[in-house]
Amino acid sequence: MKELPDQQREFEALLELSRRGRAKLERLHEVLNTPGHFGKGATPAEVVYEENKLRLLRLLDDDGQPRDGPPVLFIPAPVSRYFILDLMPGRSFAGHVAAAGHDVYIADFGTPTSEDRFNDLSYYIDGLIRRCVRKVAALSGQRSINLVGYCLGGTLSLLYAARYPDSVRRLVLLTTMVDGDVQGGIAWTAHRMGLEGESYDSPRLVPAIEVKSWFEMLSPGSNSLIGRVTDLWNRLDDSPERLSAVRTMATWVDDVVPAPGRLLAELYRQFGPGRNSLMRGTAEVGGRVVNLSCVAMPVMAVSAEKDTIAPPEGVDAISAVVPQAQVVRLAGGHVGIVAGRAATALWQQTVEFLAGEGKKG
Amino acid sequence: MAEQKEEEQEPAKEETTLVERWLQEQQQWQKTAMNYLDSMAKSDEFLVHLGNAMRGSLLAGKPYPTESQDTAAAEAADDRIDEVLFALHKIEGQIHDLKFSIDELRAERASAPAKPAGKKSRNKLKPLKPKGNE
Repeated sequence: MKELPDQQREFEALLELSRRGRAKLERLHEVLNTPGHFGKGATPAEVVYEENKLRLLRLLDDDGQPRDGPPVLFIPAPVSRYFILDLMPGRSFAGHVAAAGHDVYIADFGTPTSEDRFNDLSYYIDGLIRRCVRKVAALSGQRSINLVGYCLGGTLSLLYAARYPDSVRRLVLLTTMVDGDVQGGIAWTAHRMGLEGESYDSPRLVPAIEVKSWFEMLSPGSNSLIGRVTDLWNRLDDSPERLSAVRTMATWVDDVVPAPGRLLAELYRQFGPGRNSLMRGTAEVGGRVVNLSCVAMPVMAVSAEKDTIAPPEGVDAISAVVPQAQVVRLAGGHVGIVAGRAATALWQQTVEFLAGEGKKG
Repeated sequence: MAEQKEEEQEPAKEETTLVERWLQEQQQWQKTAMNYLDSMAKSDEFLVHLGNAMRGSLLAGKPYPTESQDTAAAEAADDRIDEVLFALHKIEGQIHDLKFSIDELRAERASAPAKPAGKKSRNKLKPLKPKGNE
């Protein structure tokens, strides 16, 4: 092979750089033009109940029929989109539980608008969730149903189970903080970024961009424009299939919703750093003290080893207030254990627990 | 013969000068740019998605959240209207609760053992029909 003069070699390198850059832009063009799956659940579903922004979805089988197994209601966090629980074909927690024969429902709290800034804990627990449970019970003909709460949805589910224990057969809490004094996580970040200043009496609709900034503070760099663009540029070497999956997940991560200020003020006041009412037994919903000793049904609490949003120690602390709770710690992060590539471990454990096959607490 | 043809083609490849390859690459860039312009002209959604990509996001279906969108929403908020709407939502919920209670009572009565003949029930509610999907 004959040796190229330096100038020619540099020119070749420049040409190669140009080709690679163009290939990335062509890949991006293809991805942006591909009708992917994003922004909605992956499993066919029908809306069985609606109230304000809430939609209660019932998953259907391949023939468009609801399943007749034991009912399971998924409660996501009302400050994010529900479809993380039913992300995409082959990566759906709710779909997996449904495929095991359960009659699965998901509460989609929707996107709050200005009047929803007055929503408080009681509005969710005694209102929306209570009525979702009643609807599921009516449709399935069961007096009690299984609840699966994720993140803040887990906190709401725990409080609900304490308020209405007879209507809950089994309770699964995913990455649900119980000990608010454990440092780190979204509660502490929000505290440091001014959540303490949220007013209960004159609440605002906390802008989506502000809610997003709290989560971005947990992974420094993710909120910088240059960092994000560089990350996307590097990803454009991936295959279109992989990029399509990345796009679905990115849509969940970036599609944050505004948060009701009154709910955040109440959460901070009760469960925030230094308040810790779940551990102290002083939590209240609608002015009534919540007695966690009423949570007598089987409970499985799942924490994630690398969870930066809900530190695992704060999740595992449930065993101090709900002694029969079966505590499970999984490898992975807050989102990864639910919808990541290794999430089947959690899905299967949940199916076994719901069938009564879990370890006794 | 085939081998001979390949040998003839090989030197032809090498004969493409750097300048020619550079010009070809420029033509490819023009084609890529035209594809983008074409998609931008044909679809508003593509424009939104391209805008998101320029912010480093593959968010689909809506623009990347910005402060200006949120500020506009906050400025439009009116306490009095919002309080009325919130109260209406609560009333809506209470009405749903009443409906659930009535349905539950009906279902319980329908499933209760039949009373002995001769005793008329005061309950005028019709028994609940089996519900499928609503």
